[in-house]
Amino acid sequence: MRPRRIAHIARWEVSRSAGTVDRKTILVLVAMALVVGVVGVSVVGSGAGLEDDLYRVGVDGRVDGAGSNPYVDVVEASPQFTLVETTAAEFASGDSDADVFTGGPGHLRSDGSTKGDAAHAAFRDAIDRYNHELMDAEVDEDAAYPVRVSVRYQQRDLADPPGSGGDRPDAGGSAGDGSDGSSDGSGGFDDPSFGDDSSGAASAERDDSRLRIPDVGGGSLGESVDAGTPGAISPPFPFQSLVLAFLFVVPMNFVIQAYGSTIMDERIKRRGELLLVAPITSTEIVAGKTLPYLVGVVAIAAVITGVIEGGPLSVLAALPIALLFLAATFVSALLARSFKELTFVTVAISVFLTTYTFVPAIFTDVTPIALISPLTLIVMDLQGETATLGEYLFSTGAFYLGATVLFALGIGIYREEDLFTQKPIPAKVLDALAGRIRGYRHVPLLSILFIPFVFVGQLLAVALLFALPTHLALPVLFVVVSVLEELAKSVHVYAGFARSRFEASLGTAVVVGTLAGAGFFVGEKLTHVVQFVGLPDLEVGLAAFGPALSAEPLVLAVLFVVPLVLHSVTAVISAVGASRGRTQYALAFTAAVLVHTGYNLGVIGLVS
Amino acid sequence: MIEVQDLRKEYGGFVAVEGSSFSVDRGEVFGVIGPNGAGKTTTLKTLAGLIEPTAGTAVVADRPAGHPDMQRTLGFLPEESPLYEEMTAHSYLEFFADLYDVPGDVASERITEALDRLDLEHRDRRIGNMSKGMTRKVAIARALVNDPEVLIFDEPASGLDPLTTNYIIDFTRELSDEGKTIVFSAHNLYHVESICDRVVIMNEGEIVARGTLDEIREAHGGAEYHVYATVDAGGAIRENGHFRHVVDDMDAVDRVRASVEADDGRVTDIQTHTPSLEDIFLDVAGEARA
Repeated sequence: MRPRRIAHIARWEVSRSAGTVDRKTILVLVAMALVVGVVGVSVVGSGAGLEDDLYRVGVDGRVDGAGSNPYVDVVEASPQFTLVETTAAEFASGDSDADVFTGGPGHLRSDGSTKGDAAHAAFRDAIDRYNHELMDAEVDEDAAYPVRVSVRYQQRDLADPPGSGGDRPDAGGSAGDGSDGSSDGSGGFDDPSFGDDSSGAASAERDDSRLRIPDVGGGSLGESVDAGTPGAISPPFPFQSLVLAFLFVVPMNFVIQAYGSTIMDERIKRRGELLLVAPITSTEIVAGKTLPYLVGVVAIAAVITGVIEGGPLSVLAALPIALLFLAATFVSALLARSFKELTFVTVAISVFLTTYTFVPAIFTDVTPIALISPLTLIVMDLQGETATLGEYLFSTGAFYLGATVLFALGIGIYREEDLFTQKPIPAKVLDALAGRIRGYRHVPLLSILFIPFVFVGQLLAVALLFALPTHLALPVLFVVVSVLEELAKSVHVYAGFARSRFEASLGTAVVVGTLAGAGFFVGEKLTHVVQFVGLPDLEVGLAAFGPALSAEPLVLAVLFVVPLVLHSVTAVISAVGASRGRTQYALAFTAAVLVHTGYNLGVIGLVS
Repeated sequence: MIEVQDLRKEYGGFVAVEGSSFSVDRGEVFGVIGPNGAGKTTTLKTLAGLIEPTAGTAVVADRPAGHPDMQRTLGFLPEESPLYEEMTAHSYLEFFADLYDVPGDVASERITEALDRLDLEHRDRRIGNMSKGMTRKVAIARALVNDPEVLIFDEPASGLDPLTTNYIIDFTRELSDEGKTIVFSAHNLYHVESICDRVVIMNEGEIVARGTLDEIREAHGGAEYHVYATVDAGGAIRENGHFRHVVDDMDAVDRVRASVEADDGRVTDIQTHTPSLEDIFLDVAGEARA
């Protein structure tokens, strides 16, 4: 690839695309920027000002100077409230327009209306916040927080019946600590000088190690339980950081629409044909056309980072998400047969990737599964946490590799024969795969390259299934894992036979099947990286990614050799079917999945 | 300059080109003709390196088709060449000149010259606002920005008005006079006949006739003689009070003359008719279909 060429095409793409942007599009873009800006600023700051002066707080007594009502400072500190000087009698008779009334410390009353009740609750929260700020500002930290509570999350034993977890000494200890902290702080609820239970919990010193697994496996998340039990400690939900992290994904959904259209334009109007005749490679064309959109998304991410005061990690985490968005859109634009079909596909991409990145990030402070999404890194960054290189690679590796493979497959069909013909999508997918097979050596290579997709699929399955009871989640996961892995080992072999890259004979099928299985085995070993972040600590994680490596040489040897044999055998089964046509491939593939699932069940049974 | 050997292109189960072989000399104008679906465009796109042959080889300017060095020596004008409508003619041509590594000053001079020769006005108008003929001229100019040795023109005047068509045909002839090697395809066989030195006729993916125009006439229907007489000497067609006898050599003419005179008639006229390329094409294509 020649950078000058790519830069030239990129410049051309920018100037050309700029000429196609009409006023309506500009208005949509401006509106989008405004939405992003308002959401960002309002979440970062104390709000967009929509709730300013929402409630009126009636105060009886002095409002300034010594001996003044202590709630006056709370009112002045919160823009949500307006001070109204009144008396208890006026408030009681309804002559005052105050929503709540305070006559002094410990005295706070609602006017009985719905708004009054809301104002009452909001004012109590404001008092808590005010107290908290006072505590934080205290020079003598021990005086402000004389009692320190350590909270440690413990993974619930899913095999135990509900309620039994509380019997464990460690769980009981945590619960006791937590409730102690609550009771300590709940005494002066209405007194500005004391904290309540939530402030007590918030002030509890958090364990240094991140990504601990709390008791959420049994579905206690969001569940209302009695105080004093471990479930009373709500799992941390990084709402603010999550909303801000989501801002990074929003622009990507718009940019891929423009990107998909420009690729589609080249195809539908056959405008890209002349570029293919020029002395430049398809890779340079694609890189040049993609670069402006990638730079645009990263620039937007950088601006958002600046506005919401994030760090470089946020931009670095947004990069692989943007790449995968673009790569998936690129391939889709090559496969779609019309703009209508492209719209459908890009919406599907938006929904899938947004879900895939956003949902795990919700559990940033809860479980290591959250790290399957780079958005989790952004949430961590916004919470002031740092990520290790291992965590960054784990979180983004599948995205980088996935994007690379998708671009490589797409570039394989970025040629006259595929760009300008209206083949069915499956046929083009086979073309893309077959285009990458120019000899036996490419068979294991493709198996390895598909590992990121298997990885993402398995991670997604784990993320979707981990909250279910184990006896339901595991069987489903075993089948999903088998299907994904067998697909990764056989789909390119089928493409090779379907496009006459291989001679359709039993001998050839055995050879390419063995190569595909061995290649996949090598790639699969890379997934052991999950052990560095502790994912197999979860039972479903263990099912998806296998047991942790043993130090025993014999066990180690068995763990290496047996999977190699399994992958080769099942890949050969599929390859033999693939060499004989589509129907035989489907049948053989099903057989391979059954063998694989049986093997997984057997191994997990032995290991456990 | 161009060597094609046993070219075969298959799409799925459909064979678009089968066993085509031909060569084009330097400076020659070479025509490729045939009915729709004959494999002409596939052949030309293979030469341009756009399509990878299933079997066989195509070498252009001593390089395999599709090789970057070969692409630098090639100017390709596809049958349909939708341009980037949001660009002006000048910026569009500059963009391609840069892709071919043409230095800026040379490119500017070359673009101006090409547009002057093609008599293209409104060069700074967006291509989307140009007429079809003007767009085609821009496409031709694009094929010339790298000053190619070999030009492949696929239906260069397709869908244009007669005036623009003649202009483009004349321009192609000028390029030929300058020594460019041109492979030319057109449905209008008159155009092919008027500028091509040699042609191949393709039908259903195969070359069914080849050579210079005279050679093809010779092989697929040379001159024929129309002998008009006052009496029918056998097999004649009555026309305007005379009998027209169609024969294909001078001996046959002598035999008709003798026969007419034996019946007390006389020969009133003898005309020589040379078949056009279109006659031959229809004849060959018809034979192939039969």
